[in-house]
Amino acid sequence: MTDHTSSPWHRATAGLLFVLAALWIYLVWNAPIDRVQGVVQKILYVHPPTAFAMYLGFVLTGVGGALYLWRGDARYDRFAASSAEVGVLFAVLMLLSGPIWAKGTWGKWWSWDLRLTLTLVQFMVYVAYLLLRSFTEGSERAARFAAVYGIIGVVLIPLNYFAIDLAAGRSIHPENLGDGSLGEGMRAPFWAGVVTSLTAFAYLLVRRLEVGGLRAEAAHREAHDALGAEG
Amino acid sequence: MSYVIAAYGLTVGLLLLYAVSLRRERARLREQLSRGGESNPG
Repeated sequence: MTDHTSSPWHRATAGLLFVLAALWIYLVWNAPIDRVQGVVQKILYVHPPTAFAMYLGFVLTGVGGALYLWRGDARYDRFAASSAEVGVLFAVLMLLSGPIWAKGTWGKWWSWDLRLTLTLVQFMVYVAYLLLRSFTEGSERAARFAAVYGIIGVVLIPLNYFAIDLAAGRSIHPENLGDGSLGEGMRAPFWAGVVTSLTAFAYLLVRRLEVGGLRAEAAHREAHDALGAEG
Repeated sequence: MSYVIAAYGLTVGLLLLYAVSLRRERARLREQLSRGGESNPG
């Protein structure tokens, strides 16, 4: 586990992110224009990559929660809370870029189909998780409850991912990517987008963990000072 | 083209905003802890 002493991690992810982002921009700029959708199809290189980072954030929330329940170490609880926060940020990005793409291709911002509705539900589940954390900061009981909540929340990830298959042809959302889904010249910008997005996630998670560690230290010192003042 | 610019602009812009807010929070906490360390040595 890394805490607020993790500056080498921070520097490594920042450097990697800078290089990957430059490569991603270059590849997206030079990607071919889709014959059916036109230039709006280039949103493909940003929308699914943010979804992958969101999934990663919510998986790590569950992993952190499980480790906290197992080991009882507050650092795992902070790891779960940090992963959830960064995951929610990527959920917001996905929920913004998706409707923009939808407006450009379907002609409307939103449709209440299974995939979109489940994505919104998943987003709200993790916003509720963050609200719970913010109202009960420092409580061990709340941390245990949040850990269980975060583990149960993981169930929504495969449900969301396979929603299009579950809808059995009734979903307006494009199918999940498979072999041959991407046209000529579209694979490189797409995978560059995925790797860049996951690296941005790692960079922000490392930063958020540093902040979480410092907050815990400040709270510990405040409690220590208060006890000293009483004594 | 405006849809593409909006999607990329919002994504990159919000990521940068969050990164800056974390950086500021980190600096504030470090400052707070170092001041506490000075006033309560040991």
